[in-house]
Amino acid sequence: MNGFAGHGLDEDAFGEKGNIVSAFDAFPKSKPQYVTRTSGGGKWTVAMLIASFLLISSEFLRWWRGHENHTFAVEKGVGHNLQINLDIVLAMHCNEIHINVQDAAGDRILAADMLKEDPTNWSQWVDKRGMHGLGKDSQGRIVTGEGYHEHEEGFGEEHVHDIIAAAGGGRKAKFSKTPRLRGGPAGGDSCRIYGSLEVNKVQGDFHITARGHGYQEWGAQHLDHNAFNFSHIISELSFGTFYPGLLNPLDRTVSTTPNHFHKFQYFLSVVPTVYTVDSSTYGSSTIFTNQYAVTEQSHIIGERAVPGIFFKYDIEPLLLSVEESRDGFLRFVVKVVNVFSGVLVAGHWGFTFTEWAITVLGKRRRQMSEGVLNGRAHESYD
Amino acid sequence: MPPKSRFTRLDAFTKTVDEARVRTTSGGIITIASLLIVLWLAWGEWADYRRIVIHPELIVDKGRSEKMEIHLNITFPNIPCELLTLDVMDVSGEQQVGVMHGVSKVRLAPQSEGGRVIDVKALDLHSDEDKATHLDPDYCGGCYGATPPPNAQKPGCCNTCDEVREAYASVSWAFGRGENVEQCEREHYGERLDSQRKEGCRIEGSLRVNKVVGNFHIAPGRSFSNGNMHVHDLNNYFDTPIPGGHLFNHQIHYLRFGPQLPEELSKKMSTKTSYWTNHHMNPLDDTEKITHDPAYNFMYFIKVVSTSYLPLGWENQDAHPGDNEVGLGAYGHLNDGSVETHQYSVTSHRRSLNGGDDSGEGHKEKVHARGGIPGVFFSYDISPMKVINREERSKTLTGFLTGLCAIIGGTLTVAAAVDRGLYEGGTRLKKMQSKNL
Repeated sequence: MNGFAGHGLDEDAFGEKGNIVSAFDAFPKSKPQYVTRTSGGGKWTVAMLIASFLLISSEFLRWWRGHENHTFAVEKGVGHNLQINLDIVLAMHCNEIHINVQDAAGDRILAADMLKEDPTNWSQWVDKRGMHGLGKDSQGRIVTGEGYHEHEEGFGEEHVHDIIAAAGGGRKAKFSKTPRLRGGPAGGDSCRIYGSLEVNKVQGDFHITARGHGYQEWGAQHLDHNAFNFSHIISELSFGTFYPGLLNPLDRTVSTTPNHFHKFQYFLSVVPTVYTVDSSTYGSSTIFTNQYAVTEQSHIIGERAVPGIFFKYDIEPLLLSVEESRDGFLRFVVKVVNVFSGVLVAGHWGFTFTEWAITVLGKRRRQMSEGVLNGRAHESYD
Repeated sequence: MPPKSRFTRLDAFTKTVDEARVRTTSGGIITIASLLIVLWLAWGEWADYRRIVIHPELIVDKGRSEKMEIHLNITFPNIPCELLTLDVMDVSGEQQVGVMHGVSKVRLAPQSEGGRVIDVKALDLHSDEDKATHLDPDYCGGCYGATPPPNAQKPGCCNTCDEVREAYASVSWAFGRGENVEQCEREHYGERLDSQRKEGCRIEGSLRVNKVVGNFHIAPGRSFSNGNMHVHDLNNYFDTPIPGGHLFNHQIHYLRFGPQLPEELSKKMSTKTSYWTNHHMNPLDDTEKITHDPAYNFMYFIKVVSTSYLPLGWENQDAHPGDNEVGLGAYGHLNDGSVETHQYSVTSHRRSLNGGDDSGEGHKEKVHARGGIPGVFFSYDISPMKVINREERSKTLTGFLTGLCAIIGGTLTVAAAVDRGLYEGGTRLKKMQSKNL
């Protein structure tokens, strides 16, 4: 305070005489005795302040939110494997099913060796919250599942930082434990198949079929056709690193059928996706995952065909990169300065214009009222 | 003083008469500082204006009956050129029509002898070499029961060992080393083959193929189509005096679809996401695969994405030269500097022809298919999407001017406000102090 005052005094003492620095002063300041303050000007000042406050706050919000940048590119490097994570409950006993992958490279992958199979009860899964048919609930309405309102269907609408937060920042994710059998028949009536397996990164067909149907096997007992029930609940089906928090289109979907010979087919197009957040608050983090588009088809088949659940997947060559970033703080400051000064200048002009308009109109009115001697005009002027 | 016009009141640039003007040190400092800031920001704006950004666009490829060039250079250190064949097929297994060849086989000395180049020979479907010119003009060699090739030097005859081999291939007979075949014994086919057994081979050059889903493969032996089957004569490959047999070890020096973009362009295009992507870097360049099993099959699943690169001065002119007018290797470079090329993503796969599982790599659940042809197979798929990388200025001239005005105006106005505040604050303080005194 004192320092400033001293400075001020100094300026009073020497400033008027004009030292070298003050010669550069380009901003016109008038001595206080020449400055008038009008109520019109005060109103304009207040209006200007409000306007600039509104504009700056909206500018700030926009800056804070950042912007998302969608780009695409062709994937780098020579690919080998693709991880599939799945968690499916099938209304059949575990020893009655076969899980295999066949792909364009000619390989057959015995997926059952890599996946865990636990007996469970259908009723323990079907009522879980959030479970729904593909895009529909039991009444056929489209729902996204109770308790999951923060996630829109798919994650196209979400912000990148939400997706990265949901992915959990690289922690090693695990599948949840199978709940203990409660009620129902002993040994359970269904089978939960879960785990991750690596397949060749080529077009392929992942399928769950009944024992003794579809594959030639030695010593496999023929399974009674009445045991077939390919009703299933998909809790998780994703490609790439397992991020349980990310919602994929097939997650938490139920498909039921009363028929024994039913074929469920899912056609999946896998799109590799990179999400990047680059900002001060979230830090810079990147996750590499795969999204997919899915079409479902299911129909009754004849007794000669092979019933089951078939996931046919293909990998798109183009990689999608979604990047959320925020401009630098300096850029924001420059913007704020621009907005503020713009409003200031516009306000000044507005003030001058209104003053001018009032004087000109006032003069004319006065002339008119004097010249035409009309009482009404006089009234209106008042 | 000029007469006061009506517009004088409208003057937005009110000027203070000089007598009433105050110049202060703080004002001077603020002026200089704000000028510096303006210069700095304006310089940044200018740099921004001069910057050329590459703006990628994604469109559906609407080209019709286009061609695509495959440039390849692959070394096989353990297989002689005599044994290797290159076949280009479309998805149904039929030979592609209209394939323009410019591929040559380079004979390489055995690796123990340094692997130098021995001989370069154009790979041609029907070469005119080994002509039996020293023979009696009336000579007509028998084809040993096979149909004579239609393009034989003398119709209905098999005058050279090559023609006999071709005749055998056309009826799907295995040929072997040519024992008891007069033409081949005369040409010392078997001995020549055996003398080359230790050599390696490099296949380099370009192919122009139709832009449809297809595959090309490099496999041993003469190939022939037997109904729907594509068969290679593997007799000479497996029946070899070399210990360990021939191996399909290979080094891909480069494999690209379409012309290569200049280096500086790829550098310019690298962004933060480049960790995941390859901007015009071909993923298979400088890769090597090694096996110790002669009966081994390498597969590459390639997805080709058309990409065009449009530089700054590009204009939309339909100057596509006719396909046949351009020589091999020049396809895709247009006169206006734009480049039509292809990027690809690739998945590699390898298996032994004996089947078995992948337990060597920790995937014992993967059971490979049995049978097939040893060799290196490239199957390519064309993506419906096309990427256009367009060079653009990040700002237009008017945008730059607007930005410049905003910077100057904004900074000066705010500086004026700050200066005013300082000045008025100073005078108030002075007043208060003088009152206190």
